[in-house]
Amino acid sequence: MYLTTFGIVLVFFIVGALFVAVGLFTAALVRPKNPTPEKLRTYESGEIPMGSPWIQFNNRFYIIGLAYIIFDVELVLLFPWSVVYKTLGWYSFIAMVIFLMILIIGLVYDWAKGYLEWDKPNPVIPQLNELIIHRKKVNKEN
Amino acid sequence: MFTFLGLGPLTWITFLPILGMIIILLIPSGEDDLAKAKSQNLYRWITVGVTFIQLVISIFLVLNFNLKFAGVNDPNSMQFVERANWIYLSGLPLLGNLKIQYFIGIDGISAPMVLLTTIVSFLATFASWNIKKSAKGYFSMYLLLVTGMMGVFVALDFFLFYVFWELMLLPMYFLIGIWGGANKEYAAIKFFLYTLFGSVFMLLVMIALYFAVGSFNMFDMMDFAKYSHSSILYGMGSNWRLIAFAALFVGFAIKVPSVPFHTWLPDAHVEAPTPISVILAGVLLKMGTYGMLRIAWPMFPDAVMYFQNWIAVIGLVSIVYGALCALGQFKFGKRDFKKLIAYSSVSHMGYVVLGMASMTTEGMVGAIFQMFNHGTITAMLFMIVGVIYDRAHTRGLDDFGGLANKMPVYTGIMTIAFFGAIGLPGLSGFVSEAMVFLGTFKTYPIYAMIAGSGIILGASYMLWALQKVFFGKLPERWSGPWDPTHKIYKTDDVNLVEKVALVPLVIIIIYLGINPNAMIGLMSNSVNHLIEFVKLSGQVAHL
Amino acid sequence: MTITQSYLNNLMASVGYFAPEIAIVVTFIVAILFDLMFKKSKNIAAYISIIGLIITGFILSGNIGISKSLFDGLIVVDPYSTFFKFLFLITTILIMVMSLSYKELYDNNRKVGEYYSMLVGITFGMFLLASAVNLITIYLSIEILSLSSYVLAGYTKEIRRASEASLKYVIYGSLSSGIMVYGMSLLYGATMTLDVAKINVAILSGHVELFPIIIGGLMILVGFGYKMSAVPFHYWTPDVYEGAPITITSYLSVASKAAGFAVFIRFFKDLYLLPATSDINIWNTISNFHWQTIVAVLSVLTMTVGNFVALWQENVKRLLAYSSIAHAGYILMAVVVMTNVGITSILLYFVFYMIMNLGAFFVAQLFANKIGSDDLKDYIGLGYRSPVLAVLMTVFLISLTGLPPTAGFIGKFYIFTAVLDKGFVWLAVIGVLNSVVSLFYYAKIFRNMFLRSVADDTKNNFKFSAPAFPLSIAYVLAFATILFGLYFSPILNWAENSVTMFK
Repeated sequence: MYLTTFGIVLVFFIVGALFVAVGLFTAALVRPKNPTPEKLRTYESGEIPMGSPWIQFNNRFYIIGLAYIIFDVELVLLFPWSVVYKTLGWYSFIAMVIFLMILIIGLVYDWAKGYLEWDKPNPVIPQLNELIIHRKKVNKEN
Repeated sequence: MFTFLGLGPLTWITFLPILGMIIILLIPSGEDDLAKAKSQNLYRWITVGVTFIQLVISIFLVLNFNLKFAGVNDPNSMQFVERANWIYLSGLPLLGNLKIQYFIGIDGISAPMVLLTTIVSFLATFASWNIKKSAKGYFSMYLLLVTGMMGVFVALDFFLFYVFWELMLLPMYFLIGIWGGANKEYAAIKFFLYTLFGSVFMLLVMIALYFAVGSFNMFDMMDFAKYSHSSILYGMGSNWRLIAFAALFVGFAIKVPSVPFHTWLPDAHVEAPTPISVILAGVLLKMGTYGMLRIAWPMFPDAVMYFQNWIAVIGLVSIVYGALCALGQFKFGKRDFKKLIAYSSVSHMGYVVLGMASMTTEGMVGAIFQMFNHGTITAMLFMIVGVIYDRAHTRGLDDFGGLANKMPVYTGIMTIAFFGAIGLPGLSGFVSEAMVFLGTFKTYPIYAMIAGSGIILGASYMLWALQKVFFGKLPERWSGPWDPTHKIYKTDDVNLVEKVALVPLVIIIIYLGINPNAMIGLMSNSVNHLIEFVKLSGQVAHL
Repeated sequence: MTITQSYLNNLMASVGYFAPEIAIVVTFIVAILFDLMFKKSKNIAAYISIIGLIITGFILSGNIGISKSLFDGLIVVDPYSTFFKFLFLITTILIMVMSLSYKELYDNNRKVGEYYSMLVGITFGMFLLASAVNLITIYLSIEILSLSSYVLAGYTKEIRRASEASLKYVIYGSLSSGIMVYGMSLLYGATMTLDVAKINVAILSGHVELFPIIIGGLMILVGFGYKMSAVPFHYWTPDVYEGAPITITSYLSVASKAAGFAVFIRFFKDLYLLPATSDINIWNTISNFHWQTIVAVLSVLTMTVGNFVALWQENVKRLLAYSSIAHAGYILMAVVVMTNVGITSILLYFVFYMIMNLGAFFVAQLFANKIGSDDLKDYIGLGYRSPVLAVLMTVFLISLTGLPPTAGFIGKFYIFTAVLDKGFVWLAVIGVLNSVVSLFYYAKIFRNMFLRSVADDTKNNFKFSAPAFPLSIAYVLAFATILFGLYFSPILNWAENSVTMFK
């Protein structure tokens, strides 16, 4: 049988699916069934969840998450750099320092603006521009 | 050459109004009423001064005009030529050379128009005497308009011509739109859109001609040996040339205006203030026919010969239809005095187109002469309407009657103007119309006969209007003086300012009626040359 | 020499030509840092950004006339990109200066440091975009440009329409860039290279299937069309233009559009055209696909829809938004011919368009500062309440219409010249008819300002003018509009010499 490149991929998928299915099925056959309330929890050995998981997360979570991801991705660049920086010498060292500086300035910016505080010290509640409200009124009157 | 500060007379005559405009803009309009009146007076007198100097220069030009030089397609026999490179880029990697010149001069075709422009714009200043609403804006726009008009008549570079042609649109829009009558917005934008519609096609033809000859020089565009073989306009009588001519002709015909492009004119005239109506009828309409003579005819002689018959028909229809519309004012319209004259303009400009289509010396000379005469006579008619409109604030023909006793001098002037418009022998209008008929009769005898009906119709509506306004019974409400307080109008008859505006026109109309050669001599050489050139190069194409 | 060594040499040789972009990044960082450090002085970021961009301009002038490929063919420096970079710089500086006097921006004691640094960020994206010759760089720079614009469009976040504008911008933007990336991946999949010139070579070799190349090109066109706001990719334009702060609106309508055109022209010229004939008779496309027809249809649609929808607009910002769509259509006419004359006319047009459009938006902003509105009906009588500003506005509008003696006329004149040069008479006729239509709505603005007047006794009849500094900027722009209408040789010369692209 002649398999094209995609055929191999297809076989891979099929075998993978079979592997998972067979494993689960065998496990269901042999394992003891003894459900207790503790076992049915989301995190069996963790904290007990409270309330519904379908809530809005605090915006701040994403900001901190973003800041984390930036430094996470930075590592991806640092690893290959560390392999070759010896051949490239000072030039690449300085280049990487500049790169890190830029990222750090971003972190400093977050810090100075208070985005790293979970509770912002003096939140400013946005308010609609009075001018605009006035205009809307005028428009309605006309 | 006579120069002043290194600039020739044509530059001065064209750009002097801009100078005046800048001075006017620099003078503050004043805070309280007294200062306002003072500065208003100043604006008026600056405008009078500027236009008067223009008039003097133009008279000087005509007196020093060499009648032997023909001009038209020969740059060496243009007179008072000034030439300088305006945009001159040589060795451009892609376009090669780009040459736009500041190239101005006059010949026998443009000289009468320059004279007409200065006369009308000078006299229309006096008709502007009563403009009170933001006088600063008015007079600066007025002067800008004058520059635009003058530039069109002296430009010999197509690009320059186009710039001036469009330059006068905006001031005209504001002059009608701000100082106009009740329906001014509609009239102003209609004028603007119509004219722009025409001129954008002119722009395309201009660019196509530029690709054909590689410059914007009008004389190059008239020299068919210079046309590049790769141009779509190469080859006499080709389809593209006919299309280009048609586009150009429509652009100019909108300005003339010829039927069926005339509908903007009655609106614009009715709504425009008196002096602007005067300028519009006196000068602006001539730009259309002048453009045909200067650009469309000599640049596309083959197409002219091809379309000759159709052009004549357009002229003919304008004559008859315009006259019928004017007459229809009595039956169907609101009997608006200005609308009547507007339609009579359509009719009279039809003679010009007809004369130009005839391709005979008489017809062509008559056409140019008619342009001049229509300019003076219609300017006068609009001023006359302005005089009673200022006093009575109405233009309805029905609102008047029996004014002859109340305003005898006014009646006298108006009678002369009306007879001039009808074409009474002894007045200038007769000569030009007669010449148009003579010329047309040679080429299209039947058209000449039909066009004769235009004269009869013209006589009937003019006399009708005359009778309505001056004879019969004076309406009760006008029995007292126009201005009981005697603040603005001391007498009931025309006042001094109005006399200054009207009397010179009366003199011109009578003088040119008796001695038409004064004007005909100016143009006959150029006209002969133009006809010869157009016929020759046009016929070569049809062989 | 190792591969890394040679790569490093290439890098070091390139950095010198990359100095303008580096200067922009430094400006960006310094502006942010100073804004953090000196909290008391509100406009410190603005001043630093302006100074930084001026310095960038000086550095950039070192690149004039240089044609070079940088960073292993990721970007190029050539007269074409340098021209656009100067255009972006001048626009950004003008916008920053204009923003200094924008009332709505400074309302509510808002912090404006990020506003100016984001503008610098956009400039960086546009700089890259003008130079990009690699699919990755094209995509990245478009994203840099877009992300900053999304933020700026909603910068006045307590104004609802601004937030709405920002959100719409993001949604439409991500959709179009998603389609564009898909198109790019098709190109890459078919040719196994991201370098635009190499894709061209690969197609020429004849071993490539053409279908994905064409589909990919169409998809990329969506992304570029979005930036150029060409119909039918224009849906975001009116809402975003109306909602965003007016300075950002004018910025998007000039700089962002110019960037879109810059990359669009380069991309299609480099990728789909036969290199041998690239000077004279273009659009000899390698794939026998009628790109020319597609762009012509796009152009006609863009100007016609832009102009006709503008006729009904009652808000000046929205009206100018549609007018800017129409202008994109005019410019596309010159793309249709794709000759060097056409590209010259585009460059020329952008210079003039920048001046007049910024001017018109700026005067609208100065009006909004005083009357608190940009509705057409609130413009009634402004010609008498603020004659100077109204006259300046009229100058810009006349120029946008394309009447002499203004710069707009010269721009249109050149576009029609380029179009007629290649014999597209029908396209030119549609173009000129469109400019007649455009007169009608531009005239609506100066009709309201001059031809109508409000009664004297209403409280809305106070007279006003602008402070000296913004007024002088408006004067300069108006003066330039008229000056370039009368004398444009230097700009034309510069544009003519800037059509050379690096090959």
